[in-house]
Amino acid sequence: MSDKLKQIINKQGEQQKVDTLDQSDDIVQLVGFVIGEEEYAVPILAIQEIIKPFTWTRCPQVPPYVLGVFNLRGSVIPLIDLRVKFGLQAKKHNDETRFFVLKQGDEVAGFVIDRLTAAIRIKKQNIGPAPDTINGDDTMIDGVGKQEDRIITILKVDKLLERDF
Amino acid sequence: MDEFQEILQDFLVESFELVEKLDEDLVELEATPEDLELLNGIFRVAHTVKGASSFLNFDVLTHLTHHMEDVLNKARHGDLIITPDIMDVILESIDLMKALLNIIRDTSADAGIDVSACVARLDKVSGGTGEVEAPATAAPEPEPVEEAPVVEEASAEDEIDYDNMDPDELEAEIERLLNERQNEDKAKREAKIAAGESVPEAPPAPDEEPEAKAEPTPAAPTPPPVKASQVKKENSAKAAAPAPRAPATVEQTIRVDVKRLDHLMNLIGELVLAKNRLIKINDDVEERYEGEEFLEELNQVVSIVSLVTTDLQIAVMKTRMLPVGKVFNKFPRMIRDLTRELNKKIELEISGEDTELDKSIVEEIGDPLVHIIRNSCDHGIETPEDRLAAGKEEGGTIALKAYNEGNQIVIQIDDDGKGLDADMLKNKAFEKGLISEKEADTMSDKEAFGLIMRPGFSTAAAVTNVSGRGVGMDVVKTNIEKVNGIIDIESEKGVGSSMRLKIPLTLAIIQALLVGVQEEHYAIPLASVLETVRISKDEIYTVEGRSVMRLRDEVLSLVHIGDIFEVERILDASEHAYVVVLGLGTSKLGLIVDTLVGQEEIVIKSLGEYLKGIEGIAGATIRGDGGVTLICDVVALMDMAKGVKSTIMDNDDDGQSTNEKTKASDYTVMIVDDSKTDRMIMRKALEPIGVTLVEASDGQEALNILKSGDHNFDAMLIDIEMPRMDGYSLASEIKKYNRYKNLPLIAVTSRTGKSDRMRGVESGMVEYITKPYSADYLSSVVQRNVNFKSEFL
Repeated sequence: MSDKLKQIINKQGEQQKVDTLDQSDDIVQLVGFVIGEEEYAVPILAIQEIIKPFTWTRCPQVPPYVLGVFNLRGSVIPLIDLRVKFGLQAKKHNDETRFFVLKQGDEVAGFVIDRLTAAIRIKKQNIGPAPDTINGDDTMIDGVGKQEDRIITILKVDKLLERDF
Repeated sequence: MDEFQEILQDFLVESFELVEKLDEDLVELEATPEDLELLNGIFRVAHTVKGASSFLNFDVLTHLTHHMEDVLNKARHGDLIITPDIMDVILESIDLMKALLNIIRDTSADAGIDVSACVARLDKVSGGTGEVEAPATAAPEPEPVEEAPVVEEASAEDEIDYDNMDPDELEAEIERLLNERQNEDKAKREAKIAAGESVPEAPPAPDEEPEAKAEPTPAAPTPPPVKASQVKKENSAKAAAPAPRAPATVEQTIRVDVKRLDHLMNLIGELVLAKNRLIKINDDVEERYEGEEFLEELNQVVSIVSLVTTDLQIAVMKTRMLPVGKVFNKFPRMIRDLTRELNKKIELEISGEDTELDKSIVEEIGDPLVHIIRNSCDHGIETPEDRLAAGKEEGGTIALKAYNEGNQIVIQIDDDGKGLDADMLKNKAFEKGLISEKEADTMSDKEAFGLIMRPGFSTAAAVTNVSGRGVGMDVVKTNIEKVNGIIDIESEKGVGSSMRLKIPLTLAIIQALLVGVQEEHYAIPLASVLETVRISKDEIYTVEGRSVMRLRDEVLSLVHIGDIFEVERILDASEHAYVVVLGLGTSKLGLIVDTLVGQEEIVIKSLGEYLKGIEGIAGATIRGDGGVTLICDVVALMDMAKGVKSTIMDNDDDGQSTNEKTKASDYTVMIVDDSKTDRMIMRKALEPIGVTLVEASDGQEALNILKSGDHNFDAMLIDIEMPRMDGYSLASEIKKYNRYKNLPLIAVTSRTGKSDRMRGVESGMVEYITKPYSADYLSSVVQRNVNFKSEFL
């Protein structure tokens, strides 16, 4: 038993070494999620919390992608459906649906996503700029992260939290 | 330097308080120029400000107040009679003083305002009338005072004081001094006030004037820079010496940062929400465990918590309350200025200045009141000649009153002027294109009075300096509405007019009426709700595409809240509706809602940056069940109502989707029963015919499955006895929805009583199967109800 424990501790130690190694490089930590078919990510530090869906209150006079407002421990927070915002059909919430609560400064909003993927560590050099065709000031895309097997679209948190209606 | 800042803060707070009182006193002084007590008081203020500002090296302010002091001092000794002209100069200097104080507050320095003109005038006053002294007396003072290092000046004063005291008094002072030393902290706080009071205490000093001149002399040799700590010490020492001869019972107070109170208020807000929630849970528990013993205890605790919370809320609210007199204080001065400017005789009567209001509201109502009172002076009260001609007294009266009325306070401004002329107002509004001719014809007098609040409306024939520029009254309206207040105008032509501002006591927590529309709830601030009426559909008439109803002898225009807030109609419209009559100022609107939920105390929460400024929504609140309810913005609602097309009478077309069934499994039946065994028995009975089966273990779950729309149900088998929501309630809930109007509901129960059957029918069940039953019977009943095609068998 104690051998096993030692093993685990050793392993963790190694892992930590690796971690510190990683940190010496320029590493960006992201959380990935899926909307529709695409994988997106936002910086981990912009995420206040990720919660399971619960009831919200519809709000009138807003674009369809703003579902309404919900109560997050006493604060009233807007809820935005990223599917609709990205031009997809709204989908019923299921077991994998999550509310992503993003925060930047005083701005807080909840975003509905289809599914979480994973926390991602990615080297800065592996992040390319957004494709030229959608480059500009009003794009929501911060860059494109390249992993071995896939590419991830990194979103700008400030653009997500910006009111555009 | 922190200590300096601290002193500066104290100085500012104190000075502003003093100056506020000063205005009032001065106006009173003009009426009773020989009131020595009053004069002394005013002199003390000027003196205190001078002393303190010289400590803090505010040279300009010192310079100004010094000259004010001169003039007042002469008046005090009877060398100068306060005439209105002199008063004008004094008031001007006080205005300058205020401006300087404002600048000091903002920049911590007193540069930027030129006081020389005013000082010259003050000099002229004090020099010109005081025949005893040559004009020269005032002249040499300015320069030395400006340079005079501060402490010395003050200490010089102290010395003077001691010199002037007779032995007995001195003895008493020393005694006093010892006492004060023991309590130095207190002394520090009262330092400046006390310093001011030292002077009048001195026996009549005919040689005060020369002494004032002598001041700079001892001052010169000492080095000018004074450390703040020293200042403070000096300050307290000085305070200790001449401490108040009348140790008036000082109210025990602490100055608290408003931010802390705001934070406290927010916390209380959270507590109120939690309390609401607790009450709701208590109700639920009560229902569930009726008759249990622990309920009583729970009840007690809940009611204590709720009681204490309410008290706590009131207590915290009270800490934020300020007497409305804070605002009223500036009006005597304003009226005085206006009467001189307009050549009218107007008297201001103030009452109820002790009435208290939330600090933020007190700050908010200042401007509106200024506009209203200016308006009353300018347009309301006639000139003395006109008044005499009309058989009235020469002087007009404006009465400013504040009093409590329920959860609101009312500020009432009455004048006995010429009153408002409804017809004239209408004509004017029509000329200016604010209303159409038709509107003018149908307008009631009260509505016509409301016209003066419209932007761009002014009845004054000529634009004067005072009012008539067409701004003003609409500012009043916006400001008052901002604090959820209501304006009510009454007027009689030739007799006078009366304006009442009804303002809620506080902004953060309000009473609201909760209304339901379809499945949504909205909160309407109760202050804007006049009444609620239950009407049937045929009481609603349509006039030019707009819905209206008769409310007693009035015609009330109606709008459905669902039309304003784009609510989807999913529930079956009932024959009856409720109309919430909203009143705002003089306009009224009937808001049709589906249900009235009740009255509740709600805490207003902002919707945040992202959703800020949505039309018609003032904010949100969190309800007892943890859900969010939006709060209506009644002002915006009334505006929006104008643009909304009525759809009240529209009959919804049923979007019944009757899918063609091609196989047995296209039929879907829901089984609702809390017993797993019972569900199994039903499943066994129905599986042979091949229909799709969905199970739910209680009414609530069944309703959720139904609403989620994942399945298109052809029938439901419902048990009656179930937790959370029983079969009857489930059936009546389902029948509220248009889509499920024709969904067959089959009760499967062991209840066999006739009344049970009756209830079943009432709640919308079509069949009633009593347990036990045979599998074949159940199957046949279901087949019959879903129109099962026999070829699938």
